[in-house]
Amino acid sequence: MNIDLLLKIAGIGILVAVLHQILTRAGRDDQAMMTTLAGMIIVLTVVVKEISTLFETVRTVFNL
Amino acid sequence: MDVIKIIGIGFITLIITIVLKEYKKEYYIYAVLIGGAIILFYSLGTIKEIIDFVNEISNNNNYNNEFIKLLLKLTGISVLIEYAVSICKDAGEISIANKIDLGGKIILISMSIPVISVTLEALVKLLP
Repeated sequence: MNIDLLLKIAGIGILVAVLHQILTRAGRDDQAMMTTLAGMIIVLTVVVKEISTLFETVRTVFNL
Repeated sequence: MDVIKIIGIGFITLIITIVLKEYKKEYYIYAVLIGGAIILFYSLGTIKEIIDFVNEISNNNNYNNEFIKLLLKLTGISVLIEYAVSICKDAGEISIANKIDLGGKIILISMSIPVISVTLEALVKLLP
């Protein structure tokens, strides 16, 4: 739960954007779509894990 | 020192969000989610101290502390609701934000019914 997580997500986002551009230029649109989806799923798993730890902490702090 | 950390993370998230919005529209929401989570996580530390202080006070002079506990629960829920609503508004989905807001309000009201009933009884006793 620290700052490098945020930088990791920015890195993945920009990497996927570049890959998307390269693949579309190379004419392989379907693989470009695949990489975008794969990148999104990876980032989604990371984000969901972090959000669940946050909600768990809030639950314990306020003893909900 | 804590304030500088929170502001710093906020600005970093802001810059990353702007960059991501430029290149890949779907990813900027993740940056906003994670940035908000990090800032909330840091501020939870200080909230915990406040809550311990409040609990200690309510236990000392045996104030009826089930209302204090309920009050803490309600603040916890409103913190989460506010987190979700502001992110949905940031993403431009006003209707989803309103739905979450509505659900949150309903939960808050349903949890505060015992308080309302006790106050009403006290009020009735006061009347002649």
